[in-house]
Amino acid sequence: MTMKRRDFVKTLGATGLALYASDLVGDLLAQSAGKRALESQFKGLSDIALGEAKRLGCSYADIRFTRNINDNVTVRDRIVTDSGFGFGGGGREESAGFGVRVIHSGVWGFASSPIVTPDEIRRVTAQATEVAKASAISKRFEVQLAPVPAYTDYWAVPVKIKPEDVSLDEKIAFLLKINEAALKQPDIIRVQSNIAFDYEWKYLATSEGSYIEQEIWRTAPGFQVTARKGGKTKSRTYSVPPRTAGYEVALEAKMLENVERICAEAAEHCIAPPIGVGLKDIIMTPSHAMLTIHEIVAHATELDRIIGYEANYAGTSFVKLSDLGKLKYGSKLFNVTADRTIPGGMCTVGYDDDGVKSQEWPIVREGILVGLQTNRETAHFIGEKESRGCTFATSWRNYPFLRMPNVHVDAGPPGSPTPEEIIADTKDGVLIDGRGSYSIDQQRYNGQFGGDAFWEIKNGKKTRMVSDVTYNAITTDFWQNLDAVSGKESWEMYGTTGDAKGQPVQINHPSHGSPWCRIRRIMVGAAYS
Amino acid sequence: MSFSRDEVKQITDKVLNLAKADGVEVRFSGGERAATRFANSSITANLIERDQEVTVTVRYGQREASATTHQFDDASLKRIIAQVQELAKRKPENPELMPLVKPPQQYIEVEAALPEAVNFGPAERARMVKESTDICEKKGVLGAGYIPKLHWTNAIANSEGLFAYFRYAEASFILTCRTPDQTGSGWAGTTGVKQVSQIDAVGLTEVAADKALKSRKPRALEPGNYTVILEPRPAARYLSLMLNSLNARAAEEGRSFMSGKERGSTRLGEKVFGDNFTLRSEIGNPILRQTPIGEDGLAAKPVTWVEKGVVKNLFYDRYWASRQKKEPTATSPQMSLVMEGGTTSIEEMIKTTKRGLLVTFFWYIRPVDQQTLLNTGMTRDGLFLIENGEIVGPVQNFRWNESPAVSFNNITALGPAVPMHVGESYDNPGTALVPAMKIDDFTMTSISPAV
Repeated sequence: MTMKRRDFVKTLGATGLALYASDLVGDLLAQSAGKRALESQFKGLSDIALGEAKRLGCSYADIRFTRNINDNVTVRDRIVTDSGFGFGGGGREESAGFGVRVIHSGVWGFASSPIVTPDEIRRVTAQATEVAKASAISKRFEVQLAPVPAYTDYWAVPVKIKPEDVSLDEKIAFLLKINEAALKQPDIIRVQSNIAFDYEWKYLATSEGSYIEQEIWRTAPGFQVTARKGGKTKSRTYSVPPRTAGYEVALEAKMLENVERICAEAAEHCIAPPIGVGLKDIIMTPSHAMLTIHEIVAHATELDRIIGYEANYAGTSFVKLSDLGKLKYGSKLFNVTADRTIPGGMCTVGYDDDGVKSQEWPIVREGILVGLQTNRETAHFIGEKESRGCTFATSWRNYPFLRMPNVHVDAGPPGSPTPEEIIADTKDGVLIDGRGSYSIDQQRYNGQFGGDAFWEIKNGKKTRMVSDVTYNAITTDFWQNLDAVSGKESWEMYGTTGDAKGQPVQINHPSHGSPWCRIRRIMVGAAYS
Repeated sequence: MSFSRDEVKQITDKVLNLAKADGVEVRFSGGERAATRFANSSITANLIERDQEVTVTVRYGQREASATTHQFDDASLKRIIAQVQELAKRKPENPELMPLVKPPQQYIEVEAALPEAVNFGPAERARMVKESTDICEKKGVLGAGYIPKLHWTNAIANSEGLFAYFRYAEASFILTCRTPDQTGSGWAGTTGVKQVSQIDAVGLTEVAADKALKSRKPRALEPGNYTVILEPRPAARYLSLMLNSLNARAAEEGRSFMSGKERGSTRLGEKVFGDNFTLRSEIGNPILRQTPIGEDGLAAKPVTWVEKGVVKNLFYDRYWASRQKKEPTATSPQMSLVMEGGTTSIEEMIKTTKRGLLVTFFWYIRPVDQQTLLNTGMTRDGLFLIENGEIVGPVQNFRWNESPAVSFNNITALGPAVPMHVGESYDNPGTALVPAMKIDDFTMTSISPAV
């Protein structure tokens, strides 16, 4: 929902007040009709840029206004701090402004500014055009955009409790309770509990006739404890699936209820024996599988990487254009879906930053690669006539480019084993929960992953915690060894608030859903040998 | 986009005059971030971002709150001050909140915004791309690169009368060349350069292109321990892995490699690294030309962190220093970092190597065990086998698992220290002076065949 002046005043009265910033975009929003994109103050401002770009000879232009509020409340050892975990790196940041993107002479130009005035919009549009013109001397191919219909729309994430409607006092009290509970537990030397909120309002207008206004709320709570026992220190994180939703994510996360268990596991981890080096079956919980999916499935199937656009930084991909429809990515149980429409998905939107309507599509079916992530600029490289809608920019100041959507491993069909049945069916394995160390090559083929907590599985039983667990994954071999996935009842959608890509680096926030997965005979523990 | 000292002081003074509280601090940040990206030898993105912001922090006793705005008109500033004043009164007391830093602070003078970097524009960057991609075309490789420019101003002012201002302009040129069949890849680059004329796009392109061509058809070697010659870029990344361990609080709380055996003790004064490992923060270094403003506006001073392997100083932030009854360090280990180099060229290092690896680049380094500084990462963009003093051919990339706590005892030769960014990306200040390093017994744990 768009903010009204009276809401602003009301918010000021509550202690969520600093969520709303003090800049011109806030004033314009307060004056705007909201939910009617063509009646918004931003329609007129957008038309200034689009008209100026046309006058300057640009073949395409768009202007994107955003207001981004990252608000991360952290309580560490009973102290409220501005540092630590969160969207964009912690603390609170509020910003608003606009970016203008043009194509002139077949080349992109982009410029941005936080000063939302007609004169500045004209200046920035001219600057973006100059940048494009200057770039044309070293162009070897021209930008080709897949067609997209013109949309006029308003879209918003459904929110039960807006984070700004909850007082800071209440948020701090909620996090303090977790601190207090954890610091009463034996061997705990440090605790940090957090709730990270990300609010994104954006208004996109394109020279092809779209005027799209969107509001997105993302919420990511969690806590981490550190234990010291037997001369060793270990941390344990209580992972909560972050969602596009409001404060209800924190209330529904059962954080306090899990403090005792998480603290006990941190302490036990300190004295847990090393797993040693060898081939083991690994069972991945959804909170762990999330990161493996992110690194060796989601990144590897970004089309811009495959065609070399990221060669200088994030890297390319082991996937080749010719692999589409042929590459055996995993076993028959391995099905992967990209989805920007699923409720709660961190990358779920109405439209991407190219103005393409969001959708769901298959990436892997029964182990075969069948789809890739595309945007308007890259769709033609695989002969597709339409974009899959994967363009995103972190904020107004950043240029939009291809970012991953939510990418999930699908749950098994009815009759698939439960997590308990997967454990009972495993003779010599290790159960891995949560995120740990992760490192992956620039083509997403050789990964080394750790986790947050590990249990030995012997003859179908979860016996004791173990330590020093990493495993090595050669992407296609790894998923070929997938021999059990649980059903939809245990499918969960975890996510990350800090997916970095691009130059200058931008941050994306994808979700990755997964069932429990078992991978047969993977090398574990080699990093510590 | 440039912010002069007077312009910034007007803004910070305005905030300080408007805000009523026991203490007020204003941080200013703004300027121009520009960049040109290219891939497949053609520009793919070219941009200029303008930004400006003030972060206002007010405090009442031990209560404090902050907020940021990007608008500097009176109404916007008044509104954010009202918000932050209200917010601070409702926050719990923070026992770790330190008093505002008082003037005078004697900052080392650093001239860091030289005209050629300030004026480095999109047309000049595009010409640099063209020079580079023309060479790529002649050599039959594809160029993918990044030319970032940052012209930025930071300032900090507070109600005790402190005003500290620093403006800088720097640029980098980073290039990956790949063969069209995707079987070869090479990297070259220079970062954080304050004098743009020092960027040799042609020379760097020759190096990256030749590495790409020479890295085709790599052979697979057995994982194991190798002598490695780290060129400055992988050396800088590797060096960065031990910087956080210099934090005194983490060490004294038992959470760090620098923790001593007894609870609360540290390894300060111990010889932890080899004789040839010396690390300093040289505030005012004439090549780096980096900020002299330390924590909360304290004047940063040169600090020797490690001298000939002995830990000489740990970083005490203001709170931890007061609690432990020490002087705050003011200078953090990331500031104006200089690792003492040697005189051995990479060519000489190769000549004296019986069997080893020449490493161009480290990629995706992540911690495996914080207390031992065990990290993992991979080689990338040019890995070559050396036998009997000569490069004999390319090698498939390796994943490694190793700790600088071990390796910095095994350095056998050092090159001259050169500017190189220690971070994974190149966007913010983070360039240090780092030498190429020859290190024995570096643990390569598996083949990583990606090119």
